[in-house]
Amino acid sequence: MMQKRSKFEQFLLTVITILVVLFFMLPVFWLVTTSFKFGREAFAIPPKWLLFEFTWRNYTEVLATTKIGLYLTNSLIISAGATILSLVLGVPAGYAIARSGSRLLNMSAYFFLLLLMVPPVAMLIPFYLIMRDLHLLGSYASLIILDTVFDAAFVVWMMRSYFADVPKEIEEAALVDGASRFAAFWRVALPLSIPGVVAAALYVIIFSWNDFLFALMLTSPATKTIPLGILASFSAVEISWGRMAVMCLFAIVPALVISLFLNRYFIQGVTMGATKG
Amino acid sequence: MTVIQERQVVSRRRWGDGLRRALRGEGAYLAMLLPLLLFVAAIAIYPLLFSFRISLFKYRLTDPNQLQTFVGLDNYLRAFQDPIVLTSLRVTLIYVAGTVLLEMVLGLALALLLASEGRMIRGTRALLLLPMALPPLVVGLVWKSLYNADFGVIPYYLKALGVDVGRGPLAELGWAMPAVILIDVWQWTPLLMIIFLAGLKSLPVEPYEAAFADGATRWQRFIHITLPLLKPTLLVALLLRTMQSFKVFDVIYATTGGGPGSATTVLNFHIYTVGMTFFDMGYAAALANVLLVIIAILSVLYIMILERQQL
Repeated sequence: MMQKRSKFEQFLLTVITILVVLFFMLPVFWLVTTSFKFGREAFAIPPKWLLFEFTWRNYTEVLATTKIGLYLTNSLIISAGATILSLVLGVPAGYAIARSGSRLLNMSAYFFLLLLMVPPVAMLIPFYLIMRDLHLLGSYASLIILDTVFDAAFVVWMMRSYFADVPKEIEEAALVDGASRFAAFWRVALPLSIPGVVAAALYVIIFSWNDFLFALMLTSPATKTIPLGILASFSAVEISWGRMAVMCLFAIVPALVISLFLNRYFIQGVTMGATKG
Repeated sequence: MTVIQERQVVSRRRWGDGLRRALRGEGAYLAMLLPLLLFVAAIAIYPLLFSFRISLFKYRLTDPNQLQTFVGLDNYLRAFQDPIVLTSLRVTLIYVAGTVLLEMVLGLALALLLASEGRMIRGTRALLLLPMALPPLVVGLVWKSLYNADFGVIPYYLKALGVDVGRGPLAELGWAMPAVILIDVWQWTPLLMIIFLAGLKSLPVEPYEAAFADGATRWQRFIHITLPLLKPTLLVALLLRTMQSFKVFDVIYATTGGGPGSATTVLNFHIYTVGMTFFDMGYAAALANVLLVIIAILSVLYIMILERQQL
């Protein structure tokens, strides 16, 4: 149906595509190479993109001098906690909204969408004061709870459109056979929707792992997550970009894994979460 | 068994049946939704009310007596006379308009460029997912080093092209805003690409066949068929990105800290400064509520468009 493109057009499009990939990949490439450079090479002018002296020293130094293990553990605990809690609360809720005949229940989906749009800064003051009054400042619980509010809202919104696409007939057959609604959800709809749950989970992991603002406000030195840890490990005066690059690389491991190996799920999460009415 | 006892058994059974029947019907759905609703009410709704209350008080955390004085709407009145707030509103609008418009155009261009189904193209699309999965703080730090005046890659190449950016893009008044906008464009254009790709894929083929038969050029087909058919997707994406763009914080924190001067002090960042640096809680809450109203209006628009699309 498409007109055949001329050789020249084809060539032009290939060049543009390569430029696009370069634009989006070079900052990441820069981060990776900087982590293997000695200090003076990281500062070299003109920049050394490919030919530089390779070293693991930044890595050994980061492991020896920073609390990277603690930061990563904290990030892991908080992301895992928020992910599990938001799935447990959000997946059944999404199912209920998708299947219920009640208009009120159906409309409640928009309430979660509204929540999703709230800028975290707008909730900063009340969250901070409430957590302070509950003596939860600096605890894992405070961050897990806050992350879960926004994560669960996303899970509901996404799972609702996912369940809406799962045919009702099998569940109805189960209901006729005397299964309860819970059983229909747990034994029939949920197993059919595992890809959707995975997509939602990946998205939520990224949300909580990448969170900076809530962590900035609520963590103590013992519960700092990796983004906070990066900032805490360097003073404004003396920054070793090589070591900072190493810490940044640890911080982007989930992003790398998900975008490189699980990108099909990730794309699904993005499109379903954003555009399905 | 006496009659009364018998009645009690029957009524108890009826009650049990009723519960079971309720859980069989709509009640079951309510039960599945309720835990989350209660959680959200406790964690999000209560703080919102709390935030509204605090915004009516003068309350500084630094005050040794922790006095909370009721001042009515003074904090709101103060907000609309505060030159920094007005500046930050303007900065926010420039940032949001700049990022969203650029990302819409580039995202659509990328979607059209990468719409075909080759293995190379699919690989390319997957690579482009990486930026939006990265922690914004890390993105900010990486770009900060790229922008660095002394050894940054970008000023070096700009200088080679004959453009001198002095103390680096992030520190020069005219450069800081475009510089942070570029970071946002780098991170979020692929999101729009994905949304547009999904939209393009769902377009019907018939109009294109008809246009092809009529000998329409590629550009004509884009203007007269693709754009109008894609309008709902474009609208949804526009509102979604607008609301997300209002949330920007991490990148500003990592790169300019709102500077130079207040050139990149978006409202979000100003609220943070007022609340967490000056500890002026009442005023910060009032500012936050102004931001919330803006977002609420946009969200309602967004929901109305989503609803209409469903019909």
